[in-house]
Amino acid sequence: MAFLLRRLGFYLAAFLAAATINFFLPRLMPGDPIQLMFSSAGAELPPESLESLKLTFGFVDGPLWKQYLTYIGSIFTGDLGRSIKYFPLPVTSVLGHALIWTLVLMGTATIISFVLGTWLGVMAAWKRGSRFDVIVSVTSIFATSVPAVVTSLIVLFVFGFTLDWFPNGYAADPSLDPAFTLQYISSVAYHGVLPMLTLCTVLIGGFTVTMRNNMINLLGEDYIVMARAKGLSDRRVMLWYAARNALLPTVSSLAIAIGTILGGSLVTEVVFNYPGLGNVLYQAILARDYPVIQGQLLIMTATMLVANFIVDVSYVLLDPRLKAA
Amino acid sequence: MKTLLKNRKALVGLAIIATIAILAIAAPWLTEYNPATRTGRPHQAPSMDHILGTTRIGQDVFARVLYGARTSLMVGFGAGLLITVVGTVLGIVSGYRGGKTDEVISFFTNMVLVVPNLPLLLVLAAFIGQASPVVIALILGATSWAWGARVTRAETLSVKQKDFVKSAEMMGEKQWRIMAFEIFPNVISIVGINFIGSVIFAIITQATLEFLGLGDPRAISWGNMLFAAQKASALSVGAWWEILTPCFALAFLGIGMSLLNFAVDEIANPRLRTGNRLGRWSLLVRNGEGRL
Repeated sequence: MAFLLRRLGFYLAAFLAAATINFFLPRLMPGDPIQLMFSSAGAELPPESLESLKLTFGFVDGPLWKQYLTYIGSIFTGDLGRSIKYFPLPVTSVLGHALIWTLVLMGTATIISFVLGTWLGVMAAWKRGSRFDVIVSVTSIFATSVPAVVTSLIVLFVFGFTLDWFPNGYAADPSLDPAFTLQYISSVAYHGVLPMLTLCTVLIGGFTVTMRNNMINLLGEDYIVMARAKGLSDRRVMLWYAARNALLPTVSSLAIAIGTILGGSLVTEVVFNYPGLGNVLYQAILARDYPVIQGQLLIMTATMLVANFIVDVSYVLLDPRLKAA
Repeated sequence: MKTLLKNRKALVGLAIIATIAILAIAAPWLTEYNPATRTGRPHQAPSMDHILGTTRIGQDVFARVLYGARTSLMVGFGAGLLITVVGTVLGIVSGYRGGKTDEVISFFTNMVLVVPNLPLLLVLAAFIGQASPVVIALILGATSWAWGARVTRAETLSVKQKDFVKSAEMMGEKQWRIMAFEIFPNVISIVGINFIGSVIFAIITQATLEFLGLGDPRAISWGNMLFAAQKASALSVGAWWEILTPCFALAFLGIGMSLLNFAVDEIANPRLRTGNRLGRWSLLVRNGEGRL
């Protein structure tokens, strides 16, 4: 419990740090940042958007610390200001809608690649040196070393344009109304195949290699030899003695991988025109929509921290030593 | 270095990187075209005149990919060096000094590790506006040192206990001398792994930032080629050469760097016959260093 509380405090500090960066960045810009943001957005905007932009970034009358408190206060009450591009829509509603798509895409891809990657890693380690191991290891190295941008574009080119098997963009058929109907859900699944394939390609290698290495390190341990000496079946030794323990560091590496996953999903969404955070961000960058860009950092930090916390909790559940401490 | 040359992965990796570097340096002799200007009609398919076709605005793709390699390599190695220097200095100082210094540095390191890197870079780049490759390298260096600092610190903690450090302390050597001449040479393998990993990261991230349109569009680089191609809907209009060329260039360089990375890892850490960032991370966790 103490462990989790300490982590929680730490995450709060990290979130505050991200918010602080957001607060100071516009103030470090030369000239009047609000005017600059306004003019570089280049759009026809009503004067009241200028006012709300000032409020978004805490440009109220008073000393800096007061501005800072106003800004932090509005963030913790869930007010991230209003989008310039979609004025007067609040940033939270622009991002909130997109976040759901990103979580669906990212969550599914993470689970698929974690399960599949871990399983491949276990098998490769068990049969280390075999042809299976060589193929899996080498493919993993190649898959992880190609940037997500490149993987997305190549997948899009091959399956979207050349073979034309799957749609090239959007999360669902635009002519369908979002509802829990079989037709809509199957359309979402059909549109999700390519982005999912890309993300899994990017992610799976890391999990495979990690699991394989952990397993190989563990297979030399005494208790494995002991389990074999007891005459337990191969399967039991592999899964319940080696894999179970090798999983522990893999789970904690998942926490660090979440940053990579977020980055990968950003890029993938842009390429596949998927209505998640990445695409909203891309549109925001093109339109120089600063409130949305900044809100993005906060939402992504929050997502990453929540995911980290879930990993922490599962770590405590998996490792009995931590519960005692 | 000798063991490095005996490793097959390292050799292939080095060969790939060397090929790209030579092509980048020899660019003016390999192509007659200026990468920045119009040299043909828009979206010409690959032909004898333009080996890899032309872009939407009629620039030669082959020339652009060759000159772009210079940017990618320079930003990659420049930012990689910066990231490694910052990470190594912070890691050694916090590991060796311990106490309050360590607490402060470790706290910041852990914090930077949990704030997602790419979104942070995006925000920074958006405010700087049309970030040139040099600026991108600088902000990468400023934000991406945390992983290196942490592993170097862990390694320093174990080296610090060795007798030769103790005896240097007894002899009254200055702290900076101990850190620079006793500790640093003994954590060099971690520093090397950190450097290669950082170069990979920098190359990929620079390309990503530029692909998202945050770079200076006048710079000739692979990321900008992707950005321009995406904006010109190169795939939908069938101009695959415009988009696949920088794609394969990036993939090729990425694979080359990764092979080198895995090889150095295997040599530095015989228990891990292969490994990557995640692998190294989990090893640290196993040793009890990875916990916050």
